[in-house]
Amino acid sequence: MSTRVNEGGEVAAFRNVSKSYGRVKAVNGLDLVLRPGETVALLGPNGAGKSSSLDLLLGLRDPDQGSVSLFGGTPREAIETGRVGAMLQSGGLMGDVKVRELVKFACAVHPRGHRPEEVLRSAGITEIADRKVDKLSGGQEQRVRFALAVAGANDLIVLDEPTTGMDVSVRRQFWATMRAQADAGRTVLFATHYLEEADSIADRVLVLHKGRLIADGTSAEIKAKAGARRITFELHNSDGALDEAALRTLPGTVSLDVTGHAEGVRTVRIRSTDADAGVAALYKAGFYPHGLEVTSLGLEQAFLTITGEADSDSDLGPDSGSGSDDSAVESAR
Amino acid sequence: MTTLIQLEILRTLRNKRYVLFTVLYPALLYVFFISAYSGGSVAGGVPAKSYFMVSMATFGAVGAVLTGSAQRISVERKTGWVRQLRLTALPGRAYTLGKIAACAVTTLPAILVVFAIGAVEGVRLGAVQWLGLGAALWLGSFVFAALGVALGYAAQPDSVQPVVMIVYMLMALFGGTWFPVGESLKKFARFNPVYQYNQLASFTQPGHSLDTSAVAGLAGFLALFVAGAAFLYRKDTKQA
Repeated sequence: MSTRVNEGGEVAAFRNVSKSYGRVKAVNGLDLVLRPGETVALLGPNGAGKSSSLDLLLGLRDPDQGSVSLFGGTPREAIETGRVGAMLQSGGLMGDVKVRELVKFACAVHPRGHRPEEVLRSAGITEIADRKVDKLSGGQEQRVRFALAVAGANDLIVLDEPTTGMDVSVRRQFWATMRAQADAGRTVLFATHYLEEADSIADRVLVLHKGRLIADGTSAEIKAKAGARRITFELHNSDGALDEAALRTLPGTVSLDVTGHAEGVRTVRIRSTDADAGVAALYKAGFYPHGLEVTSLGLEQAFLTITGEADSDSDLGPDSGSGSDDSAVESAR
Repeated sequence: MTTLIQLEILRTLRNKRYVLFTVLYPALLYVFFISAYSGGSVAGGVPAKSYFMVSMATFGAVGAVLTGSAQRISVERKTGWVRQLRLTALPGRAYTLGKIAACAVTTLPAILVVFAIGAVEGVRLGAVQWLGLGAALWLGSFVFAALGVALGYAAQPDSVQPVVMIVYMLMALFGGTWFPVGESLKKFARFNPVYQYNQLASFTQPGHSLDTSAVAGLAGFLALFVAGAAFLYRKDTKQA
């Protein structure tokens, strides 16, 4: 079965969306389009605006500015036609009922509901189906929430920090279930602060920081953007004078850090988007690096780097095309 | 929507605390009052067993709907179940309607148990009067269901219990639940929905017909509470 999509091939779109709570700008000029079949991770530190963005996407709140559309209509229309299912971080469950009863209810009210037994199985909660909802562990509760999100044939599944409270093995199992949803052609959007989840599961990563989208690409692209490899080596004075300017011009260099400790020995750390070319050019320039190491920074470092840059650069750096517009809006307020 | 209503009724009846508080408690108090008055009458000449049968039925019914709606709504706003429901295709009012429907079903046992004790203790009414009284008290409980919904949206979960108890007890105290409202207080009692609610039963006394001013008063309170509940519901939805 193929996913139904409107002509534009848009699952969801944010168009210049802003939302403030009091003086805090939770979402600031967000422009974003989700395409069918994508598995998208929404990454950001606490308070970055992840949950607020998802609330806006699902129509739980209205934007102060801009517009949000789901499948070409309003979020509410998408929910009423059973095209979107969601698992919220703060999504409570009804008490005094059994898991099976709750899932049955979710299937019954979904316009394109699945059979309850099927949903219980796919969420991996068949064994706890006869337990009372109030007597579940945190991880089990999360899976019941997940079951509610996939109770029908949704085209888009939205998950806010879905694996919070799950232990490692359960988490792995959860993502296997999730991937089956994505393989069935569904678009999946999930917020997380586990970077390895974004790294290994998403084919697109969005980095949100202080309500702004500061990076959007594959996890490899994001790592590259942040200068995700580190070249470390020592230079000995006996091999010639240190020429920092020459080091700086090595291809792919994002940042350079030189420390001198022992007599005549300096440690050089280069963060590079193209370590291969950087190392080749290093030798070509006549340097003789001792103890050369090239290490990957991982998405975590990349993430810290990108958000760190966004912090130090009030105006927003090269990562956002709309940065200057945003600050103009801000100062106009 | 019927699925939600069924589930709401089921879980309410399953809740032991509910059954204890709203069904057994008024029934026990009724038995206590009958023995305390030992066959006598309350001020105004109405036999105690008749008087307290009505007042304990209304006491139980009001308790059932207030705790059933106010506390649950307040807690479920906090836990996020209300938000979760907004992500289903159910219309927004389904949640509130489900709560009121569950209340309406669950007030019946509170009323019927007290009636049963009354019948055993010797309260004699014609079949039509029994039915009429049951219907009047059942319908009257909707006024308090609406009040419960409003309180549920107004109060935070950590304060909802005391708020509900204070409102409930004050209304009961000055509404004729524990003793008949004295003449001097009657002009204020008009503003007390529990007093009006108890007045609904006056037609069962010889020589009285249905107290239409009580019906009108309750209708007014119903309109007021529904408007308040709708306003608070909308406010809450915007903040969700």
